Amino acid sequence: MPPPHRIPLPRIHRRHHSTNPYNAFISSTPSAAYTPPATPIPPPNTPLTHRPIAIKDNISTTTHPTTCASALLPSYTPPFDATCVSHLRRAGAVITGKTNMDEFGMGSDSLYSAFGPVSNPASPLLSAGGSSGGSAAAVASGAAWAALGTDTGGSVRLPAAYTGLVGFKPSYGVVSRWGVVAYANSLDTVGVLGSRVRDVRAVFDAISAHDPLDPTSLSPATRARLADLLAARAGGRFPRAPLRIGVPAEYNVAELTPGTRTAWRNTLQALHQRGHTFVPVSLPSTRAALAAYYVLAPAEASSNLAKYDGVRYGFRASPSKGSSKGEGSSEKEATEEDTLYAPIRAHFGPEVARRILLGTFSLSAGARENYFVQAQRVRRVVVREMDGVFRLPRVLVEGAAGADEGVDVLLTPTAPGPPPKRDEVPRGVGAYVRDVFTVPASLAGVPAGSVPVKVGEEGGIGLQVIGQFGDDGLVLDVAGYLEEEGLLARMGAA
Amino acid sequence: MPPILTSALARWRIASFVCASQRHASTPPPPLRKQLKDEAKRKRATPAQTANPHRIKPGWELTVGIEIHAELNTARKLFSTASAEPAAEPNTNVALFDLAYPGTQPHFQPATLVPAIRAALALGCQIQRKSGFDRKHYFYQDQPNGYQITQYYEPFAKDGSLTLYDYDGIAPEDGQAITIGIKQVQMEQDTAKTLQQGSTFLLDFNRVSHPLVEIITLPHIHHPATAAACVRKIQAILKSVNAVTAGMELGGLRADVNVSVRRTDTTGSDTHSYHGVTGLGQRTEIKNLSSFKAVEDAIVAERDRQIAVLEKGGVVEGETRGWTLGNSETRKLRGKEGEVDYRYMPDPDLPPVIIGDELVARLRETLPALPDELSDELTTKFGLTIKDAKTLLSLDDGDRLDYYFDVVDQLGGHADSGRVAGNWVLHELGGLFSKAEATWDSIRVPSATLARIVSGVLSSTLTGASGKKLLSLIFSGDARSVDTIIKEEGMAVQPIDDAVYTAAVERVLATNPDVVEAVVRRGQTGKVMWFVGQALRALAAGGVAHARPERVKEVVLQALDASRKE
Repeated sequence: MPPPHRIPLPRIHRRHHSTNPYNAFISSTPSAAYTPPATPIPPPNTPLTHRPIAIKDNISTTTHPTTCASALLPSYTPPFDATCVSHLRRAGAVITGKTNMDEFGMGSDSLYSAFGPVSNPASPLLSAGGSSGGSAAAVASGAAWAALGTDTGGSVRLPAAYTGLVGFKPSYGVVSRWGVVAYANSLDTVGVLGSRVRDVRAVFDAISAHDPLDPTSLSPATRARLADLLAARAGGRFPRAPLRIGVPAEYNVAELTPGTRTAWRNTLQALHQRGHTFVPVSLPSTRAALAAYYVLAPAEASSNLAKYDGVRYGFRASPSKGSSKGEGSSEKEATEEDTLYAPIRAHFGPEVARRILLGTFSLSAGARENYFVQAQRVRRVVVREMDGVFRLPRVLVEGAAGADEGVDVLLTPTAPGPPPKRDEVPRGVGAYVRDVFTVPASLAGVPAGSVPVKVGEEGGIGLQVIGQFGDDGLVLDVAGYLEEEGLLARMGAA
Repeated sequence: MPPILTSALARWRIASFVCASQRHASTPPPPLRKQLKDEAKRKRATPAQTANPHRIKPGWELTVGIEIHAELNTARKLFSTASAEPAAEPNTNVALFDLAYPGTQPHFQPATLVPAIRAALALGCQIQRKSGFDRKHYFYQDQPNGYQITQYYEPFAKDGSLTLYDYDGIAPEDGQAITIGIKQVQMEQDTAKTLQQGSTFLLDFNRVSHPLVEIITLPHIHHPATAAACVRKIQAILKSVNAVTAGMELGGLRADVNVSVRRTDTTGSDTHSYHGVTGLGQRTEIKNLSSFKAVEDAIVAERDRQIAVLEKGGVVEGETRGWTLGNSETRKLRGKEGEVDYRYMPDPDLPPVIIGDELVARLRETLPALPDELSDELTTKFGLTIKDAKTLLSLDDGDRLDYYFDVVDQLGGHADSGRVAGNWVLHELGGLFSKAEATWDSIRVPSATLARIVSGVLSSTLTGASGKKLLSLIFSGDARSVDTIIKEEGMAVQPIDDAVYTAAVERVLATNPDVVEAVVRRGQTGKVMWFVGQALRALAAGGVAHARPERVKEVVLQALDASRKE
């Protein structure tokens, strides 16, 4: 069996190193395509008109291959555009290219790519974060105005924090997943990366819509109920009314670097000085949430990635010797090497293989109850705890009431510290702990945005704003407030 | 979403390979016709077996549970708007999701629930308000997603039952009737078709994700013939409520059977159980049986194999086995250690299915009559024998029954019309079709035509013999109307004056005094019919067609009586 990743890579348009210095792109649009096509229909005049936007390579595009940075889809070009891509095209945006990532979205540093690692434009030796590291590097290096990423457990927020960008993960079901290659369907969201909150909001506004093609897309009826709920919100609309900002005790972990802790504390103090209240809250399942995530996401991944068998699309290994050359007897006994699947699926990268194995185990008959079912229980507890701290009720629960003394948003660090050096990134399970602050919002399906505190030689630090389900607007409002008030920059300097 | 019919999907040539896992339908069974032929050949080669193969060895009891997979009669696939019609051109009825394109999600088609609910209601099940879809994982090239979407944790229907009667063909040991519990009915996706050409496998994805129902019985069956009768009856029920498109003969229905045996004298020593039935022996599963005969024969073979193993002091392994029609033994497909762990997981893309009470009530109201209800009606109201009723129900996918009802309707209210029409539809017209080796069609002799003939016979304006001749002419393509034929062929029964009969009879008696003597004096009553024959011949010679033999006989008897008194 050949070692993984020793197969010829696809003949697709790959940017030369000089034009793709951070390995941010897997494929890109030739410059000619930057000129908008001459059409009888006048180009729409939207905030996105002619804006170069990069798309993570696990989001389907008819104009570019969609490889998921995997050796199993080296030259697969989808026959359809993802709904979010169609929205961007209609809004006049220009798709600049497809960005590098951790294979199928599995990783926190964009190192696990069949197309080589991504480097951080702030300092090339640093991790750009993952799995949407290519999208982050494309925006941070100026190659794109904004980028789409996907966020399953922090894959937009972490690279945004590491590269000094704004990264936003919407509520689950707000942006259509049609065309977004599944990693863990019940957690996958399409997120946006940009330099400024207003850019991110413009992209989010363009792609946030009900889509009948995504069975988990928030229905028009629920969206209408949500609009009513938000309009009736007690206390009036931010920023006229002071905010109640939740500070979860469990996020003050020992692994926090001093710089991160300082930035967090100083930002809270600055908010307090402007008349906002901060409220200590408790989310006891925060640690358990990380474990639950690393059971549930791999379980779903092991199922979702079963389709890559080389039969209908993607890479197919040539038939192994045993079956192609009948030496003497053609009716040879079947052996493992003769199977169709093993030689093909051996080309998954090491992290994908690890998670498929983890997921296969946790769904297996003997382990299911103790792992998969238990993790689902933890997830429900995480949701309950989140619902218990917010003033806004969860719109999905009929007749639910918000917490009496509830908060408007939570403010936490995005990651325990700045990005690690690429060659010092812990492998395997050791890398997972950095997702401890991003995973709870994913499990609860709630919106979360990361705003940059500072970027320097040692990379970026981000703070995370988390809102109640459907309160995406408020999360962006608060992120924009922090940015515009200059609170972040000043705290970062502290 | 538009069904995507990309030409790139046209035909998949897959280089020679051996599959990682085995599964039912892995090698398509030979066509049924061929199986039956082979079977007949083998039978001729090995003459009559000495013992009745269906009898179980004394001291043992067999237990069987059945899983039946049936293709639902729907317009669309289970999770896409692609057509569920069988298409001539391979790989034309496929949507993106059906082929598991990355980034696509299932779109459950609620209309597929309608035939499924009908099937479950006909099997007496409780329709569940909330059900859900789960993924069942295994690798096979006919399964694009690497999993089948089915209902494992929360099926849409549970707790039904089915009563089988002696006339359904159950084993004599089961007496007049036996009730089999239905554990659950669930919806699931069908797989693609694999066509093998030498070492190349061609895949046709038209069938992939066609909606199926899986019906799981409780292990309440103890005789092979009863198992076959159960599958046959479930097929008839599914057809009668229009839930399925085709039966076993066309591959629309497949059965898996779970078989175990236990000694009758050691109650309590068998500790296995499934579906809540305890005290059973270790069971094996025989997959993918595609005819009623295969169901029965496979169970007999597996039962006898298990008994032989246990009597030798061996242990029955829980394993999956296969069966080929005409064989005397099942064969092992995979053992316990090779057993696939399906890793069932609720499908995160599919919200729960909520079935409203109103829909269930409406479907229950409009449920077509079930075979048992129909056969009751045919025997009590229409005067058919149970045998004729069953025949009528089983023929031509219900077409014959519809035709029969049409004929009876057009006969009006004659007291005996149901029974007589039954004879004509089944035996006279049916006989013509089988003699001509033609398949049934209801146009060749329209129901109105047959009704006209039967009505003539019932009102004695047509003799039975004329009626048969008339039917035969029309069956053979005579384009004239019934009335024209009757007129042109002189078939109408003319009222004949008794005087005509009396004259003819007296003439015959007068010319045969010795025969009269033999009857009257020596009591040779057998000669009576000879006189009838002579009289009829004389009448015919005199130009009287359609003389009624029964009346002639009465006249002969009267005349002989008169001579006796002289």
